[in-house]
Parts: sequence; C-alpha cells; structure tokens
Amino acid sequence: MYGIIAFFRRFYFSLLFIALEIISIAFVVTNNYYHEAGYFNSSNRIAGTVYRTYSGVTSYFSLQSVNRQLAEENAQLLNAESKTKDTSTYKKGTLTNPFGQQYNFMLAEVIDNSTNLPNNYLTLRAGSEEGIGEGMGVISPAGIVGIVVKTSSRYSVVMSLLHQKTMVSAMFKKSGTFGSLSWDNNKDYRFATLNQIPMSEKIKQGDTIVTSGFSTIFPKGIMVGTVDNFKAIPELYFYTVHIKLSTDFKNIRYVYVVNTIEKIEKDSLERAAQNALNDKVK
Amino acid sequence: MVEVGKNILRFSFFILLQVTIIRHLDLGSYFNPFLFVGAILMLPIRINKTLVLIIAFATGLIIDMFYNTMGMNAAACTFMAFCRPRVLKVFAPAGDYNGDATATVNSMGIRWMISYAGALIFIHHLVLFYLETFSLHDFFTTLLKVILSGVSTLILFLITQSLLFRNP
Repeated sequence: MYGIIAFFRRFYFSLLFIALEIISIAFVVTNNYYHEAGYFNSSNRIAGTVYRTYSGVTSYFSLQSVNRQLAEENAQLLNAESKTKDTSTYKKGTLTNPFGQQYNFMLAEVIDNSTNLPNNYLTLRAGSEEGIGEGMGVISPAGIVGIVVKTSSRYSVVMSLLHQKTMVSAMFKKSGTFGSLSWDNNKDYRFATLNQIPMSEKIKQGDTIVTSGFSTIFPKGIMVGTVDNFKAIPELYFYTVHIKLSTDFKNIRYVYVVNTIEKIEKDSLERAAQNALNDKVK
Repeated sequence: MVEVGKNILRFSFFILLQVTIIRHLDLGSYFNPFLFVGAILMLPIRINKTLVLIIAFATGLIIDMFYNTMGMNAAACTFMAFCRPRVLKVFAPAGDYNGDATATVNSMGIRWMISYAGALIFIHHLVLFYLETFSLHDFFTTLLKVILSGVSTLILFLITQSLLFRNP
C-alpha cells in the first residue's frame, strides 16, 4: 500500500499527462465515428454567440457580393420559371422535381466558415428550432456546400465538402455516369476529385458535374462543378477526374438546407419497422 | 492575486484573438497559425508544472470547441505542456532562471525566446496536424504544413509580444 502511494507521488505528473492524453484521444476517436457524441462543438451557445457577434460585424464587408449572388439567383429562377410556366409543381416552399422527390429548402445564415484546414466546417445560425436536422444536405445558390452533422436548438454545424470524410455521389450531367466525389487534395478549396468514372466515358474539359440524387441527402441535379482535368488509371479501367467546384467556399454568406420529404418518410418507416421488430423480440 | 488576474486576461485575449481574427486570416492551407499557444508559453516560468498541464488541456478544449476539432488541440496542448519543463531545462541560462523571470523577450532575451517558443510551438503543431490528417498518407505535405505554420505562429507570437507585452 505504501509502495503504491509512493509510486503515485513519484510519477503523478506523467500519470496525469497520460490520463489527459487518453481523454483527448478518446474525444477525437468518438467524435470521428459518432456524430451525436460531444457537446464541445461550435453549435453550443458560447461558440455560437461569439461567431454570431463576429459575423454581425464582418457581414457588412460582403454585402456587395451577397447582393450580386442574390441578383444572379433571382435571374436564374426567373429564367427557370419562364421555361416551365407550369406553376403546379411549386407549392408553398416545396419543390417536386421530375423524379417525384420532394424537398423543403430552409434559408440559413453562415456565421462561421473555414477553407484552409484539413477538415473544414461551417456554423449556421439556425438549428433544430428552425427544423434543421442532422444528415440534411446544404447547398448555396452556386452549388453544393456540405452536410449537417450537429444541431443545437439555435445553431448547427455543417461538415463542408472540404472535409476528408465527406463523400457525395455525383454524375456527368450529359450522360449520367456517376462516381464518388471527395476532397482528397486537402489543400485547395477550389478543387475536388471525382473517382471511379469508367473509361468508357468520353470526358471533355468543362463538362458539367451535378449531384446524382442516389442518396436522399441532395436532390438530383444540384450543380457541383466542371471538369478541370482528368487522369486515367489503366489497371483499374477508371478515370480520376479533377473538378473545379462551382461554389466559392471562401465567400458563402447564405445557404439553403435541404430537407427531403421522402427522407422523413423513409426514416419514420425505418423507425417504425425497428420498433415493431423490438416489440416482437419482447 | 494580481498575477492570476493578469494571466486570465492574457488567456482570454489570446483565445479571442485566435478564434475571431487569426482563424480568418486565410493565408492558404500551409499557413495555419495557432497563436493562442502563446498564452501557455507566457505562463510564469516557476509555475507548478501540473497546473500548466491542466490549464493547457482546458485551453485546448476551448479552442477545439471553436474549431470543431474535438480533442485534437487538447491532446496537442497537453503534450506541449508535458514537454515544457524539459524544454525550459534545456534552454536554461547559466546559473538557472532568476526567481522573478517571466517568459517574455524583455526578461529573457530574443534568442532564448525563439528557441524556447520555437521548440514548443513545433511540438504542438506536430501533434495537432498529424492528428488532424489522421494518417501518414501525406507525410511530407503535413510536415511542410507543420513547419510553415509553426514559423508563422512564432513570428506572430514575437510581434504580439513586442507590441502588447513590452513591460515585463
């Protein structure tokens, strides 16, 4: 017994160090695998308030570019409306695309954003009270932005497309050939990589890449970017395509959070099935 | 008591500076200064090393909260605090530190400061950046990031010291 106390007294500094390191690494690992875990993220009240105040000051500097973006988007919407002339598909903030999927778009203000880290996040000033939930897609007028990973009542954290773990299913607009889009260069916020495009695809520089809509996170046909260059991997019979992203990640002030109505249905169905199964087990 | 208040003020200043201004400097992905470690570096030289460990851990957690890098800064800062006594010993002047020596350029001189701060900043960045990439895949890219970011942190730290902490 005396020996143990003597041991602790001698090595308490190293032991405390090891304990704190284990706690830190446990945080890193759990946070990597379970999105629900952890309160220490920028959706909590302290970080949210600091970012909101900061954004309140700096937002004035970007008013001009935000205005321009909004004007451009207005013009696009007007064009789209004049083309379809069929207003029956638009009802109260809900949009039905030609494939029968329905989406809700919620506007949110970006109060924090980064582009130069290996794993980038955005913080939105809108949370579960506004109907934002984890797993929803986030888009800007110019293209896709990321996926919501954490929400509190008033703020939410978005895993940017500029994150090592983000994977989005994207396709060539002209042919529908799809692959998985990821940000694997870790350095340049303007480019991402589209992997596993079969060599049968005739790729040209400047081809448009859009979301495929295979997951329920993003609607089909949301702009991703254009082909910058591509490289063949002959042994796998695949192309690796470098995409110039259409979203200017340094300059995002307002985004839309996409809620797939189909997803709600699917999720509630899955939950009901799970519950029924649990009841049966009991 | 005054000393404790001064340290708390300094920590608040460095953390706010980090999360509002430094974070948005945007010098590209190779230059990510983490100036807030300056607050830990500037703790009194004679302070209890266990206390430094706990302060560093807490500071790291606060920064993690703002950066959404749960645990990574905490791990890096704790490791830095663990190495601090050894680094202090290595760079100790002849006849050890004076009783009232503080970790400032005024008190210890610029050469001591560059070697002491440089070593600890490098240790912090090394742990942080490799945890952040979470792989050895881009080993040399990450190492370059560590070095360039470390140098930019050191330069910013020296500038901050010369501008704001002139009086010892």
